[in-house]
Amino acid sequence: MVEAVVVARQFDDARQQRRASDLGMWVFLATEILFFGALFMSYTISRIHAPEAFAIASRLTNITLGSVNTAVLLTSSLTMALAVRAMKLGMRRTSVGFMCATIALGIAFLAIKGTEYWLDYTGNLVPAVNFAQPGPHAAGVELFFFLYFVMTGWHSLHMLIGIVVVGSLAVMAWRSDFTPDYFTPVELGGLYWHLVDIVWIFLYPLLYLVSRA
Amino acid sequence: MIAHPVPRVRTYVLVWVALICLLLLTLGSAYMNLGRLNAGINLAIAAAKAWLVAFFFMHLRSSHYMLRIAAATGFFWLAILIGLSLTDFAVRY
Amino acid sequence: MSTVAVPLRGSYLEAGFSLWSWLSTVDHKRIAILYALSITAFFFVGGVAATLIRLELVTPAGDLVSAETYNKLFTMHGVIMVWFFLIPSIPSTLGNFLVPLMIGARDLAFPRLNLASWYLYVAGGLFTVGALIAGGVDTGWTFYTPFSTMFSNTHVIAAVIGVFIVGFSSILTGINFIVTIHKMRAPGMTLFRLPLFIWSMYATGIIFVLATPVLAMTLFLITVERLFGVGVFDPALGGDPLLFQHLFWFYSHPAVYVMILPAMGVASEIIPCYSRNNIFAYRSMAFAVLAIAIIGFLVWGHHMFVSGQSIYAGMVFSILSFLVAVPSAIKVFNWTATLYKGSISFDAPMLYALGFVGLFTVGGMTGLFLASLALDVHLHDTYFVIAHFHYIMVGGAVMAFLGAVHFWWPKITGRMYSDRWARFAAIVVFVGFNLTFFPQFLLGYLGMPRRYHEYPPEFQVLNVLSSAGASVLAVGYLLPLCYLLWSLKYGARAGSNPWRATGLEWQTPSPPPVENFVSIPEVTEPPYAYREKDRSDG
Repeated sequence: MVEAVVVARQFDDARQQRRASDLGMWVFLATEILFFGALFMSYTISRIHAPEAFAIASRLTNITLGSVNTAVLLTSSLTMALAVRAMKLGMRRTSVGFMCATIALGIAFLAIKGTEYWLDYTGNLVPAVNFAQPGPHAAGVELFFFLYFVMTGWHSLHMLIGIVVVGSLAVMAWRSDFTPDYFTPVELGGLYWHLVDIVWIFLYPLLYLVSRA
Repeated sequence: MIAHPVPRVRTYVLVWVALICLLLLTLGSAYMNLGRLNAGINLAIAAAKAWLVAFFFMHLRSSHYMLRIAAATGFFWLAILIGLSLTDFAVRY
Repeated sequence: MSTVAVPLRGSYLEAGFSLWSWLSTVDHKRIAILYALSITAFFFVGGVAATLIRLELVTPAGDLVSAETYNKLFTMHGVIMVWFFLIPSIPSTLGNFLVPLMIGARDLAFPRLNLASWYLYVAGGLFTVGALIAGGVDTGWTFYTPFSTMFSNTHVIAAVIGVFIVGFSSILTGINFIVTIHKMRAPGMTLFRLPLFIWSMYATGIIFVLATPVLAMTLFLITVERLFGVGVFDPALGGDPLLFQHLFWFYSHPAVYVMILPAMGVASEIIPCYSRNNIFAYRSMAFAVLAIAIIGFLVWGHHMFVSGQSIYAGMVFSILSFLVAVPSAIKVFNWTATLYKGSISFDAPMLYALGFVGLFTVGGMTGLFLASLALDVHLHDTYFVIAHFHYIMVGGAVMAFLGAVHFWWPKITGRMYSDRWARFAAIVVFVGFNLTFFPQFLLGYLGMPRRYHEYPPEFQVLNVLSSAGASVLAVGYLLPLCYLLWSLKYGARAGSNPWRATGLEWQTPSPPPVENFVSIPEVTEPPYAYREKDRSDG
């Protein structure tokens, strides 16, 4: 059964509405690149300033958990992309299933991250809280971990928002709010999820792989 | 409606396989002492992963060119921020 | 016949009279009015701070307020005028009102985001006013570290949160403008038939979305550093205060182009209309707007020539700063050329627009002085800089804003104001402005530093002239408040096109109906077709 797409009053037709939504979302994603970008800039400058400190500090991160988390997030992008694809093909249950998988992987990511934070805490690596590291490069190591917590903190906040968004989309999809002709919110939600994944893709080598050899 | 064929599940799964391979590559190469090359390799691999996600998962491959410009602009502008600042920091540090 | 202000039947002003109908509106025209009211309120708060500053500077001794209070005054003046008046002024009021009308759309692409942007603006404003009431901030609007992060005893965080929030208002506006201009133009409205005001709004939107997020994160970083004593800006911890300055100015320099590009767009609408001429070299005007926006992102280091950044960076940013002057100059030449063989009338909007061109030229040229490394060593942090940016932001942007308000007042309100009073006020503003700020060039050149509440006695005469000028300027600003508000009740009804201007916004009633157009027009002519020969695209 064909259901008409609801077109907001400012748009001429569904096509214009779709194109506007897509462009608006991508422009928003560009703002996110620059938002995190200020942190990547701070990281770059700080690392150039204190390369030895960053090397030491990076070795203190938990590479196992970090790498597992990267795999978890990359997989969640796969499930999200499949969720969007299923929605486009009208496969409602499959789509909701993939969205739930995405959420589960997102929660797993946050759980692993939380574990890491706990381990950092017990390892006296939390600036302003209990940071205590030996050696002449301690200040630089603390700077690294300051950036580590700020960058992964903002990333985790975005993950949390993403989980809420995908959760809402799953509920809406379950209630048959979407059709193959109208599933823009799912598509846009997917874009957001993938962007948060891309941020992590860059965070991972910068935080975990600086000097492992 | 966008009249592009819906990608096959196989495509998405292959992209995921590529991403995991790149993850293993970046992790593995980090344990090889390549000096300054390590950072470059890691960033290049990260860029490749990001490109795969953007191109395939985010459908930039079949998108209106304006969306690709928006995406590229974000990264390019970040490059300006870091690049021009380096005229100061790379000289002073 | 009736002297009671009754909006035209069916206009957007009549679509609901309750407060809630205004606070919950998604009509871009109503949101524009909400913004207009709020920015006017902030303008006067910032103006009170300016008044106290100029009163203090009448005498060499720091006898009106303490040094700490003075620091708070110039900080709040800057914070409020930059973020709560200038940056939203033309884009969020006139841009919001006119963008859909000028391109032949029913509304912006995302009306609810538009309303959200106003609420974010108000929320940010509340934090900042809260900081003000709680005792103020004394770091300067630039929040330089380490003073802001480590040594200031004032309400830095509250003010910074306020600016952080209002930044998202800008970002949402930028997204809305970019998408609307790309996707919602009327049939026949090709890119090169767009009014130059739209090109300006587009470029402004691009700056909003690319620059503001960097500021947001930077403000977050100084908040954290202030709260927790750790961060990337403290050299004792391995950080670098110049990192803050690079991040801050990466946003704040493009922000000044946010303040001037809309003003340029306004000038490009007014000058053709009151010279009955096509704009000279339309395409170069459009490309110049984009060039200014883009090159404007490459010059931020010129605020840091004496900060300790490398001389190499200084040279690069200096050359790029000279480069950005080129498209601006092209625009000044083109506005001038537009007047040639025109049929010029000096209505109030034109007086403001011409004043804008002249004063912007002065401000822009003095920018070149500051872009020269050797000169900047002497002029940095003096009144020369203050005069330079006030010539551009007040002589330029505020004059253009007033010109725009006067030009589109009939369209927005459906009423005509008294042109005699308006012209008088424009002249008062022009005279008052120059008397206030020209002496400041001399003061700066002679060596008077900025942000000082006391100065050597030999600078008094120039300071007194400047303060006298400020009182004249204040009168000039109060006058429009009087006669424009008066016109709402007693002004003659405006027709749809009282100025016989081109542009789609003039082809709909004044004030417009809620849906802007009875039926979406189709565009067949280039813009500014004031002359018969300009009616075709060839």
